[in-house]
Amino acid sequence: MASQGRITKILLKRDLLYSLYSWGYYGVLFVSFFASSFILKNFLDGIREDDILVSAFPLNYPLYITIIIISLYLVLISAISISREREQGTLEVLFYGPVTSKNFLMAKFWKDFFLGVISLGFTAVYFFLVSFFTNLGFTPGLVRALIMGVFLISCVVSFGLFISSLTSRVRSSVITLIAVFGAFLAIQFSYSTLLGLEKESLPTSLFYVRETLQLVFKGINWVSPFAYLSRGLDSVILDNWSLFFTNVLYCIVYVVIFLSLSIFIMNRRGVKA
Amino acid sequence: MKKNSLTLFIIIVISLFGVSTIAMAEAPVLREQLVFSLTSFNGSGYSKSFCPATEETIYLIANESSIISPRKTIVYFWPITQKYMAGFSTLNEEVAGKLELIQNGKIIETLDKVSYSLYYPKGYYSEKAVVYTEASAIESFEKYQSAVEQFNAQLRQYYENMAQYRESFNRFLEEVRRRREAGDTGPINIPIPQEPKPPEFVQFYSTELAQGFVLQLPVGSYEIQLRAEDGTLVEGSEKKVIVFASRRQGGTGYEIIPGNRWTKKENCDEPSWIIHAIGKNELYFNPFLQDEYNELYHNKLVDPQNVGRLERWKWVHVDPIDNIKTILGFKQQILQSVDKQPYFVKQIPGAELGYEILNYSDELKQQGYQPTFESYKVILDPNLPKRDYSVSLVQSDNNQPVSKSERVIRLLKKDNAGYLYAIPFFPLIVALIVILSRRSHIEK
Repeated sequence: MASQGRITKILLKRDLLYSLYSWGYYGVLFVSFFASSFILKNFLDGIREDDILVSAFPLNYPLYITIIIISLYLVLISAISISREREQGTLEVLFYGPVTSKNFLMAKFWKDFFLGVISLGFTAVYFFLVSFFTNLGFTPGLVRALIMGVFLISCVVSFGLFISSLTSRVRSSVITLIAVFGAFLAIQFSYSTLLGLEKESLPTSLFYVRETLQLVFKGINWVSPFAYLSRGLDSVILDNWSLFFTNVLYCIVYVVIFLSLSIFIMNRRGVKA
Repeated sequence: MKKNSLTLFIIIVISLFGVSTIAMAEAPVLREQLVFSLTSFNGSGYSKSFCPATEETIYLIANESSIISPRKTIVYFWPITQKYMAGFSTLNEEVAGKLELIQNGKIIETLDKVSYSLYYPKGYYSEKAVVYTEASAIESFEKYQSAVEQFNAQLRQYYENMAQYRESFNRFLEEVRRRREAGDTGPINIPIPQEPKPPEFVQFYSTELAQGFVLQLPVGSYEIQLRAEDGTLVEGSEKKVIVFASRRQGGTGYEIIPGNRWTKKENCDEPSWIIHAIGKNELYFNPFLQDEYNELYHNKLVDPQNVGRLERWKWVHVDPIDNIKTILGFKQQILQSVDKQPYFVKQIPGAELGYEILNYSDELKQQGYQPTFESYKVILDPNLPKRDYSVSLVQSDNNQPVSKSERVIRLLKKDNAGYLYAIPFFPLIVALIVILSRRSHIEK
């Protein structure tokens, strides 16, 4: 057991340092903060002389955008992490040693998770500096949102690993990821559009499409990691502690399920591309 | 795998977008429908709405009178607001019958329609209203009618007096001109005609008598149904009724009128809400006592087609708080202590299209103008250091602070907004340090 933990630690350290010593990670942080700065600049420019803005969470929307961008990066690197090693053949080499699917996946999960947590640390520094320079409040709500961010990032990473366990090559991982998120968006858009139409005037076929989409949409709300992101940050804005802890619990269950599925699929598929 | 996912994605996207686009082209359909017209107590006054057939539940506040009235009307779906609209001006037919109130499957009360009217003690535009039924409703409406008739008589008299005043004033001017032309340079000694004052309009208002079922229920879940005179149930008249109460009472909330847009007020109801400003502001604070209701229930009470969230709560302003002073402070220091004053909003003539808020002066009063609103004016000077200030209330007589009335006013450093584009570079600086130190470590 101790040696399994040690293997996970070695794999984790190797991958984590590789990511931390590359420009890409910091580039994504720069992009996400720049997007937030753009929003905040417009926000400040929007408050003209003699005008006011009443808000308990002025920094939460930029934080949401920052976490979305960081999550997109994390889901992408998670989605290609297994398939890349499988494609390059390193997975096969590793599995000739004492490495198992479980400790390999756990190493990948913790690596991406720590990258996420470090990026949240950078995010906290960024918003502290923003607050210092502009006097926009670094409120307890923002701290709670950052804590929730840790759990949301774990959902994103486990979903990315799940996609990666399904695919053999990097390109197919990326395409599958885009296809899945595209389908989520298309279903959401279509459902919202059909929901805006009068129920009685819908033809029978469209009525059934709407009912089906409603069920699918409810399902997506439990599968998509970004739905957890919205719900988690919403619980912070609602200032509802029971909802906050419920969302944390949902995130933990989500991670356990998707990591278990990923290990199961990886065992079934094997290590070859 | 790659081809399969791509094909699947394209098929899903095209079919879903296509389906929704076809559906959007449908024209709205007019339908005759049984609806419930609602006059519901909303915590402060009365809200008027209607409950279409698509809504199964009516929401009411506990232990307060609300009126529901079944009507036949034309209903159509309005896609822009995604709500059903009622064409009461086209068809507004009263549906006869008795209303049965059911709880736990048993009929607990059978109600007859009564005549009612809404009485607004401070006039039509004030929110506060009282429901009067039967004899008191007739009495309040007659009182209003007679007050309006009296006002009309006074107005006719005023117009006659004005005509006489103009005539006598013209005669006065003519006399002055005549004497001056005749070389009389001394005092004229003729009394100047006095302009008559217009009568004040009736200060209260009463709606016309109408028929409806008055419900005043304790907290709980009920059902209602309408039984026709022949003993049958009226189709589509079954509704659930949820009666709810406030979670917290007696909070302090603010309505804030920014000096640059008096028509678009901001609310600051929670102590955690922060007022962000740049620091050149005239803010008009109106403090209110407030009660907290469930957002979903209250939104559905105001209009059964509204949306809301069960886990969210909202404050409803109940009564203005009087006999207080508003304090602008910094830590323990009092910067301004403000009393309530009347203000007049003056439209700016010309192409500028705006207005200015003036102190309501004696001059305006003499000209017959009424104050537009009364408020506590707090001035944020542009020279105030950019930091956090507080606004709070104290009792006028003993200077005791009003509970939970403190709010933070945060003056933003807008001049520093340029730094916002520099801050995002710090991860790149960290990257540079980390990667360079790594390289030097490897080289060593």
